[in-house]
Amino acid sequence: MALLWLRIAVLLYGIAALAVLPAALYNRPRWRHIAMPAALIAVFFHFVALAEMLNAAHHALPVDTHESLSMLGLLLGAAFLVLATVYRTVSFGVFLLPVAALLTLVPAFRPGAEVLDYPLLHTGWLFLHVALLLAAYAALLISLIASVLYLIQERRLKQKRTSQARSWLPPLETTDQIALKSLLFGLPCMTAGLLIGSVVALETIGPAFFADPKVLLSLAMWVVYIAMIYIRRHSGLRGRRAVYLSGFVFLIVLAVWAANQLSVVHRFRAP
Amino acid sequence: MSDQTKLGCLLLVGVNHTTAPLDVRERLAIPVARLADATRSLAGQPGIREALILSTCNRVELLTVTESANGTEDSTAPATALNFLHQYLNIPTAAVTPHLYTLREREAIRHLFRVASSLDSMVVGEPQILGQVKESWNIAREVGAINSTEAFSSMLDPLLQRAFSVAKRVRTETQIGSSSVSIASVAAELARKIFGSLANKTILLVGAGKMSDLAAKHLIQQGATTLLVSNRTEARAEKIADTLRTPDITTGVIPYGQLHEQTHRADIIITSTGAGQIFSPDNGRTLVHRRRNRPVFFIDIAVPRDVNPAVNNLEGCFVYDIDDLQQVAQENQIQRSREAETAESIVQLEVERYGERLAQAPATEAIKQLQSSAEALREAELARTAQRLANLNVPLTPEQQSAIEHLTRSLINKLLHPQIIALRGTDTKRRTDDD
Repeated sequence: MALLWLRIAVLLYGIAALAVLPAALYNRPRWRHIAMPAALIAVFFHFVALAEMLNAAHHALPVDTHESLSMLGLLLGAAFLVLATVYRTVSFGVFLLPVAALLTLVPAFRPGAEVLDYPLLHTGWLFLHVALLLAAYAALLISLIASVLYLIQERRLKQKRTSQARSWLPPLETTDQIALKSLLFGLPCMTAGLLIGSVVALETIGPAFFADPKVLLSLAMWVVYIAMIYIRRHSGLRGRRAVYLSGFVFLIVLAVWAANQLSVVHRFRAP
Repeated sequence: MSDQTKLGCLLLVGVNHTTAPLDVRERLAIPVARLADATRSLAGQPGIREALILSTCNRVELLTVTESANGTEDSTAPATALNFLHQYLNIPTAAVTPHLYTLREREAIRHLFRVASSLDSMVVGEPQILGQVKESWNIAREVGAINSTEAFSSMLDPLLQRAFSVAKRVRTETQIGSSSVSIASVAAELARKIFGSLANKTILLVGAGKMSDLAAKHLIQQGATTLLVSNRTEARAEKIADTLRTPDITTGVIPYGQLHEQTHRADIIITSTGAGQIFSPDNGRTLVHRRRNRPVFFIDIAVPRDVNPAVNNLEGCFVYDIDDLQQVAQENQIQRSREAETAESIVQLEVERYGERLAQAPATEAIKQLQSSAEALREAELARTAQRLANLNVPLTPEQQSAIEHLTRSLINKLLHPQIIALRGTDTKRRTDDD
């Protein structure tokens, strides 16, 4: 059944992603009434599917690539709903909903078949480690999108193309707030996620886990993340330079994600 | 509308900004405080069954339902309305007649829908008119000028409610009211694009002028809470600050000599000195640095310009001069005109729908009466038969009672069917529902 719920969620994400285009780009409020319920129901089905999937696999955390992708998609879908409710803008859906649909598409139609054998799979600590880091990645992606939207809106206002500027982009201060707040939300998630992972790895693998490429990259990512927040808060960095900085951190996140292939610690095999 | 004796005739008489000059409209305008009395007085005129008065700065319109004895339009009704204007406002009829328009039935409905949807406004798409129509409707209902009695149902009440739905539909389905068309409102719209909400934002007014005052007032209306004024003549600056100060608005004066030291306090700077470029790119850079990159919006309505155009190239600085603002206003006006075409189609469709509904109203009423009489007859006959059987000591079982109910209802439906079809004026054969 989990796969069926997940496929329904993909379909609904797709509908929401399409409906949000006229709602945001052409300011047609009727389409918003389709996009929002579709996204809400999609997130619900997605949550049910993920819970069932993890339950059926007898472990509490998304460990294989498919499950991680699916969980990231769920977080992005939920983030869209939060942004649309708090800031009354569906503009972020133009990016977040298609990404959520794509991230869910693979697990929904080609479920993972990785065999996992790891004693701590059933503990809540590892679940927290993965979930918090995924939340931090989602926050960073939202911050990057907000910075890009800020840049586009800034350019349109400077070029005085206001007829287009009117249509769908949120006000500059709103996107700036979203960018900064999502970074501030992501920081404790990332810090706690890395700490939990370090403690678990120290107990099970020992100090050798520090030599793992993914662990090293993760620490680098954390340092850059903190530096980015510091710069943004203290110099009021906005516009083009903020996009470059967010983009740079996002590249590190992608590198951390890709480092799974080189990591021994994250293969989830018995030591 | 075949049965106008029952429904009355709809008549709209009025003047608006396209038919009458301002001095005529001024004389005809009825203040809100007197609107209730005027509506009551109009409704009390002979031959008028229901009445509503819409009086705004751009129009005075009398919407009435008049009685008609023979089912035709009452040709004296416009004269009655004109007479009311003459008597109530003490204006010679000759001064009004050349500017007056008279619309009946479907044309009156169409006009009302267009007015409520702001298609007949001086600034097409402005939102105030719908509120004004609603206010007139409320007043007319309060004074009993719109009401239903046993003899007839209200014609204006459903019509006005329909007009509100049409206006809402136009607002929802078109972008007719979404863009600003005046310089001041364009400036406020742009400020919202930068800052979102203007709550707790600070405006700096550099120089004095009508347009800059108007723009500042508009921004204050949108939520800005602090106003700073700087002028070569400090007394003049203090006077402006005093004029615009309210319990919710904090105002202050910046000495003109300290302008550049204090400018960073403002989020929006409205300049109108015309003294040449008082804000150079260097000033802009210092300003942005002091504001720690928070955006600043320059509204430069001075000619020659007060702000060097190169300031707009600085990150965080947005400069709009008078030409930029006018261009945006013109673009918005063009967009509104395009949306107005769509809105006109919606109104036309709604007028046709409402007209059809109205045309069917007498038939529907007659059908209701026919069915009601037949049902009363059926129930009386059933009761009599039940009594007769009870006297003969032959009580009916519940199944028998149900069968007789079914039979009689079916008979009545089949007997009435041809008459109902004839009343509806259609040859469409419909199966009688005999369940």
